[in-house]
Amino acid sequence: MIKLQNVEKVYRTSSIETLALNNINVDVKKGEFVSIMGPSGCGKSTLLNIIGLLDAPSKGQIEIDGSPVERYTDKHLAELRNRKLGFIFQSFHLINDLSVIDNVEIPLLYRNTSGKERRELAQAALEKVGLSNRMKHFPKQLSGGQKQRVAIARAIVGNPEIILADEPTGNLDSAMGNEILGILQKLNSDGATIVMVTHDEAMAKKTDRLIRLFDGTQVG
Amino acid sequence: MLRHLFKLIWNKKGTHSLLIIEVWAAFMVLFGVLTLIVFNLRNYLQPIGFQYEQVWNLELSSNQDTTDIAAKLQRTMQRVRSYSEVTAASRMSSNTPFSANQIGNSVNYNKVDVGADFYYTDSEFNRVLDVPVKKGRWYADADLVGKFIPIVINQVMENKLFQNESGLNKVIKRSDNVTYKVVGVVDKFKGKGLFMSDSPALFQLLEKNDRWNSNILIKTKPGTDANFEARLVKDVAMMLPGWGVEVGYLKDSRKNRENLTLVPVLIFLIVSGFLLTNVALGLFGVLNLNIAKRKGEIGLRRAMGATESKVTGQFLGEIWVLATFSLIIGLIFAVQFPLMNVFDLDKEIYIIAILAAVAVIYIIVTLCAWFPSKQAAMIHPAVALHEE
Repeated sequence: MIKLQNVEKVYRTSSIETLALNNINVDVKKGEFVSIMGPSGCGKSTLLNIIGLLDAPSKGQIEIDGSPVERYTDKHLAELRNRKLGFIFQSFHLINDLSVIDNVEIPLLYRNTSGKERRELAQAALEKVGLSNRMKHFPKQLSGGQKQRVAIARAIVGNPEIILADEPTGNLDSAMGNEILGILQKLNSDGATIVMVTHDEAMAKKTDRLIRLFDGTQVG
Repeated sequence: MLRHLFKLIWNKKGTHSLLIIEVWAAFMVLFGVLTLIVFNLRNYLQPIGFQYEQVWNLELSSNQDTTDIAAKLQRTMQRVRSYSEVTAASRMSSNTPFSANQIGNSVNYNKVDVGADFYYTDSEFNRVLDVPVKKGRWYADADLVGKFIPIVINQVMENKLFQNESGLNKVIKRSDNVTYKVVGVVDKFKGKGLFMSDSPALFQLLEKNDRWNSNILIKTKPGTDANFEARLVKDVAMMLPGWGVEVGYLKDSRKNRENLTLVPVLIFLIVSGFLLTNVALGLFGVLNLNIAKRKGEIGLRRAMGATESKVTGQFLGEIWVLATFSLIIGLIFAVQFPLMNVFDLDKEIYIIAILAAVAVIYIIVTLCAWFPSKQAAMIHPAVALHEE
């Protein structure tokens, strides 16, 4: 489903060249729950951004569903992100000026979905994460765990095949973290392919497979 | 998407309130200036209604002389008309074309009152200024023997006073019960120049022994120069010892008069130009800051499937929505002007000014938002998300 071959990412400034990822080869199968682990600064988020088509590799090839994406236009990449991928971030990235349900509707704004359908799908996604009673609330009125559940609802509202989670439990206490992981596991059992970046060894062990990074290199 | 933008701006209305007030204030100033411009421009495009290129204004003042004024003025008129350089000459009141003087009164017909500019002239006036008579005729000296004072009115006066009827041969009353009979109707007469609106005008025939109206309009032949002017002044001064004698060219008076209209418009334009520049710079700064503060949101939207053009569109859309909020408030104020007939201006002037002000505001906000919006779209999603 997601295939990375010999991926390399180099950040260049006028004076320094930093090798963020070196010769990464990843093959994530449909329905897998894969976690990426490693110390801070090892390139986990960079790898997730590349998988999520938010960043382009300096070298190597990425295939999504067997199609190489290097030559895709901005429009095509955006459509792919919108249709196939769902993102969950450590800092939730909710828009504070929008209500919970309006936040969840965001991915559907970039499709030709009617207002009524958007509302129905967002309600269904919020029900899945157990937040249907908080639809009219604003992010500032929610706890960290609730915010992350809103972010999960937003990630799944468009029914994507792949969910990419960048340290989704990083800002939560262990109870909340377990709750969020439980939701992700449930989504995985329902058929979603999940790639999760985490620091937490215990969390990583609960996934199907672990990819370890160290200084931008794949070590396991 | 539009609903989403409205919601986003509405939920942030507190934060944006100053910006909304700023755009509203800019709209109101612009509406005022554009009303002035549209009013003057519309007037300018209307014909003036007479010819003034070859016409001089001989202004006579009797000063201390109080004897036999009427006869002296009549002799002067005869002398002026006798010059070979003069095509026609006419006596009139001090409110000569393009002068600052104004004589006004109201007249009544069938309970309809109309205020008008009064011009006291003689039978040669229409020949001197080439004022075409649309209906009836210009008055003649022989009309003085009639029961009523003969007058000529302009079209706009006829429309206002007689509604849909013809004014010819109708008898009307001045506020002090002096009665007039309309003998002719001219089309337009914009005595204060091209920027003047075509307002009601009434021309009244001077009495033979009139001693108060001592301006003489002289239509000269083409090519008549300052030599004749010097001779004329010298001859008239000899005929009227102790009198003040001054000659002015109507075309010069017109320029002076029009400058009096244009200068305030220019001042308003400059002031509003500064204001709009300030608003534009303010908007530009606020938008730049806004975008810097919302990098995380930009990254998120890109991750959720927004293309570069959709991010640009969103920020442009937001500023249009914000401008729309300001304009809705502004329109509530602006529409009162045509509805309440403020300053007695044509409704159309206000409507054109409102539409133009709305267009200018949208253009300004678009120009201000364009560059920051493009920059927002160019932010790399991974960088934007990372910075948050």
